[in-house]
Amino acid sequence: MVQPAQQIAAHHWGMTVDVDRCTGCQACVVACQAENNLPINLEEHFHQKRAFEWIRVERYWEGEFPNIKARFIPILCQHCENAPCEPVCPVYATYHNDQGMNVQVYNRCVGTRYCANGCPYQVRFFNYWEPVWPEALRNQLNPDVTVRSRGVMEKCSFCVQRIRRARIEAKRDGRAVADGEIQPACVQACPTNTLVFGDLNDPNSKVSKLRNGRRAYRLLNDALRTEPNVYYLARVDNDEAEVAHG
Amino acid sequence: MLEFMNRMRRTTPLWVKIIVPLVGLPVTAALAFAVVFVITAWLGKPLPVFGFGEGPEQPIPFPHTAHAGTAVLVDTAGMARKDAQGNDLHGVGLDCAFCHRTVTQSASAGIPAREQCVTCHKVIGSADKDTLARLRELGLGGIEGAINWQRVHRLPDSVRFVHEPHIRYLTTHPAAIENSPDKTIGSATSVTPAQVCSTCHGDIATMTKVKQVEALKMGQCVNCHRDNGAPTDCITCHF
Repeated sequence: MVQPAQQIAAHHWGMTVDVDRCTGCQACVVACQAENNLPINLEEHFHQKRAFEWIRVERYWEGEFPNIKARFIPILCQHCENAPCEPVCPVYATYHNDQGMNVQVYNRCVGTRYCANGCPYQVRFFNYWEPVWPEALRNQLNPDVTVRSRGVMEKCSFCVQRIRRARIEAKRDGRAVADGEIQPACVQACPTNTLVFGDLNDPNSKVSKLRNGRRAYRLLNDALRTEPNVYYLARVDNDEAEVAHG
Repeated sequence: MLEFMNRMRRTTPLWVKIIVPLVGLPVTAALAFAVVFVITAWLGKPLPVFGFGEGPEQPIPFPHTAHAGTAVLVDTAGMARKDAQGNDLHGVGLDCAFCHRTVTQSASAGIPAREQCVTCHKVIGSADKDTLARLRELGLGGIEGAINWQRVHRLPDSVRFVHEPHIRYLTTHPAAIENSPDKTIGSATSVTPAQVCSTCHGDIATMTKVKQVEALKMGQCVNCHRDNGAPTDCITCHF
């Protein structure tokens, strides 16, 4: 019989984000908001830079009119191997687990916010208020996800509730988790398959093949050596491709 | 200093010397009791005062002894209950999963719908019994008649507990089962799902009113996980 500990170590979750495919539609943002019980962001929360978006789509303009290009890049927790957020936590509320995930333990967090200050990607969010939802939305809260109370830090969890469920079901059926079986909410909602999630330890998984391709890069990794588990696939414009082909 | 104490002894009126011990002793006792209560409550076994040692009052008193148990039923006076022929009444010994149907499939064990109670109690049970009359009165269907059962075993909001894998593991590893009325269960090779519930819930079949017997604190979870090679990563339960 396979020891459970060995099964756990066999996985290393990761994601690829194909910037070339992203249309900036924000479906991932909405899906994440609904899946993970994020509180409602009001206008003043954005002004205060205290709005919650576990995944956000950043927009850049490139070039001068009329040759202007809109660039979209979805940013979520990069689940860094050398995460700057982890060593600064005084209570070990955030740590790296053996499946390559940067984990946030809400009930351990005491709210020092050191981790958010350390994060170069700005993907950690602090609950400055007790989260409230309109009465009509009370019953839409996801029962598989903790509702975080005031005073704790939170961030993208790679939809760990879905990973847990898939692994429990796979174990029940006596099989391995299939590639593509686990889809975080953002991946599931993405209409252009920009986001791909999977096991980086499995050389045949879709995410492994994509991250080994020539377009793959990691955000701020050259400068900071954070070793993220989220890989971005560079945008290739038609005109540049033609130039490249000579 | 000595002179001061002598003066105090001379000048303290008699009523103060009586009142101070009279008030002070009960106050000290009350404080000591409060400290003991808080410590025992923290350990998950509060002193059985003010109803703390008991389970919550249910809207319809549901005796697990009659449904899940097999022993002779007793009434409130402690006398064995008899049927029309004068024979002792026994519990019917239903399987836990007969009512808590989703326990082997999903996260929550599930509380049966009222319709399931009525399926049997349409005919079973004396018509003049108040609680059964109320149950039938609630009728079939409609959310208005839903019974507001009070939850007995409640984990903190930050914990995600899934019944299904626990039942699955314990049915094939009976050595890890605790609190079972069957003392030889540890040496069995495999058991039915209903035989593993006692590990966390105690021997429910002997409870007229269900109460929490295990503290269900994180230490118990972690100890059992460690002993059985289950993951002890925080994110196993906290997310």
